[in-house]
Amino acid sequence: MSRRVYLDHNASTPVHPEVVAEMLPYWTERFGNPSSVHGFGREARDAVDTARARIAGFLRAAPEEIVFTSGGTESDNLAVKGLALGGARGHLITSQIEHHAVLRTCQALEAGGLAVTYLPVDQHGLVDPDDVKRAIRPDTVAISVMHANSEIGTVQPVAAIGAIAREHGIPFHVDAVQSFGKIAVDPAALGIDVLSMSSHKIYGPKGIGALYIRRGTRMVAIQHGGDHERRRRAGTENVPGIVGFGKAVELRDREMRPEAERLQALRDRLADGVRARLDDVRLVGHSVERLPATANLAFRQVESESIVLGLDLKGVAVSAGSACTAGHVEPSHVLAAVGLPVDWAMGAVRCSLGRSTTAEDVDYVIECLETVVGKLRRLLPTGSL
Amino acid sequence: VKYSSVLIDHFLNPRNAGLMRDPDAVGQGEYEGCGDLARFFLRVREGQVGEVRFQAYGCGPTIAAASVASELMGGRAVGDLLHVKPDEIEHALDGLPEERRHAAEVVAQALRAAAQDWHQKEDHRV
Repeated sequence: MSRRVYLDHNASTPVHPEVVAEMLPYWTERFGNPSSVHGFGREARDAVDTARARIAGFLRAAPEEIVFTSGGTESDNLAVKGLALGGARGHLITSQIEHHAVLRTCQALEAGGLAVTYLPVDQHGLVDPDDVKRAIRPDTVAISVMHANSEIGTVQPVAAIGAIAREHGIPFHVDAVQSFGKIAVDPAALGIDVLSMSSHKIYGPKGIGALYIRRGTRMVAIQHGGDHERRRRAGTENVPGIVGFGKAVELRDREMRPEAERLQALRDRLADGVRARLDDVRLVGHSVERLPATANLAFRQVESESIVLGLDLKGVAVSAGSACTAGHVEPSHVLAAVGLPVDWAMGAVRCSLGRSTTAEDVDYVIECLETVVGKLRRLLPTGSL
Repeated sequence: VKYSSVLIDHFLNPRNAGLMRDPDAVGQGEYEGCGDLARFFLRVREGQVGEVRFQAYGCGPTIAAASVASELMGGRAVGDLLHVKPDEIEHALDGLPEERRHAAEVVAQALRAAAQDWHQKEDHRV
């Protein structure tokens, strides 16, 4: 295998070399605990503060509005459970296409007595803000709608939903794990009270994430211990991770806009190229309101896992829209929610581009998809017995 | 998920894939859990399997299992196919991950169905 092409950046990204360089001293020489009063502690504290300021600046927020967590899943858990104030009573509004970190947290709260409305989406994966308005009840404690969907890339009308939330005085959480650092996110301008972020989706290290919590937002902590993170999240800070996350955000500030433009052109080249060469291919998600580097392509009557395997054997990494567990395959909840027919949904493949992706890579992937899908289709049973 | 080199080879280069004109027997297996499907066509000469062709829809292991089985069955008595077990196919693939064992099952089911089809036709001929 000569060529290797990674088109799974929505799953994870390689850590930027400048990020690695910035992190290195914090494993060894500057290993102090930021809570310690001595010099070792102070230099670690300074590093955490610098990273916090960088992330806050990127969001046009105040540093004290940023809380570090262990990643996107923890951020979502803290946001949803924290806003539900423990979650024994009340009502929460979310959508059917949230990441499992939000969906399963809602389900857990539901089991404990909280009522949850799971809003549907249209065929493009968009939540209708009017549906949000209609779902509001006197006891609604929070609204949680993601910014961009990781599978299909659809970007939600968060500004409109944020305005509704503000109008009704309901806290609004946005899971921005997949959009943060890829498209502009300004929580204050969008009416967002709490925003989840992750580092490893934007060329930072794994195991670190953050929450933006607008000043004055009422939330409870879900992890108890010391007074870290203004008592929002107890636990000694992951200093190297925080340093890396801060650096990754600083780099995104510089690279995000030009890269988005470049990747959008490559993404369209990929989708157009595949559709020109193969029949029965569909682009899933919204044609415009979509992440610049995500293309979810559904190939009718082909099993996505065999496409992924076929591509993998040609050095290309993408991800399947349906996962097989113990011989049971179902299209993802996102593909089901957008109403994609099963014979299409079973063949959905997500391609997510990133900083290393070139036009040559894209052309190679188009070629590979034509070969792999063509071959799998030739194996298909014809007619019925 | 890790696959054997035999499985990968059969997935990449499926043997005996495609339709057969006027087959002596046809059988299909389907796995409800994931919709995987294998269909076998047999040419039978004096009670023995001559040519085997297959068509398949499903994950890589299902395609590989159908391919490897198409080689295994050549030359066997059709009666033997009535008792084909998934273990034999799995063994020929050098193993299957636990969560992909349905691949061997769906193929074994299709082969048994093809053998039954031939026997039924035989009964009619007699």
